Amino acid sequence: MKHFFMMMLFAALVSVVFGVTARHTARERLLYGLKVFGEFMVIGLVLAWVLYFLPLR
Amino acid sequence: METSDRMHAPAVAWMVGIVAWLVPGGGHILVGRWGRGLLLGGTVGLMFLIGLRLGGHLFGFAGQEGTNALLQIPPAIANMGSGLLYLICWLLNRGFGEGADLASSPTFEYGNTFLLVAGLLNYLVMLDAFDLAAGRKR
Repeated sequence: MKHFFMMMLFAALVSVVFGVTARHTARERLLYGLKVFGEFMVIGLVLAWVLYFLPLR
Repeated sequence: METSDRMHAPAVAWMVGIVAWLVPGGGHILVGRWGRGLLLGGTVGLMFLIGLRLGGHLFGFAGQEGTNALLQIPPAIANMGSGLLYLICWLLNRGFGEGADLASSPTFEYGNTFLLVAGLLNYLVMLDAFDLAAGRKR
């Protein structure tokens, strides 16, 4: 759970900076920040499940 | 003419860029964007502090024993993006420690990632402040 929280915290902080620097209006910033956050979370979870099934040990 | 105007940045924009690098969010505050400056500076600063708290390692340009000095350069450049935060840690010798104890911490890699990305994000914030000061962005 701590790993998931770390990923969420990382995604949230990066999304704030991306959102604020990449768009012009407050609405665009919010939507872009949420989109980046969502992408981080979805890709992170997909990669986690892919790695879970790989025989790495 | 328009291209030339766009290419030429006033001296104040360079000054704002340097301040933005030294103090995360400081460049935005200098150009009067207080809200954005505090939000961006707070985010980069928080990320840096979390990285340190998690036991992350800051990279310097000097090669460490058993490592190639060239391999230290890219992460050191990323870390240096944090500006004064990095310089203060360097002066106080905080975060530059190494050793098996540190590396064996379960949050060591998380800390490294937070520290590296904090610096890289501050480069992005610095460019944003530069563009605002140069009138290329609103």
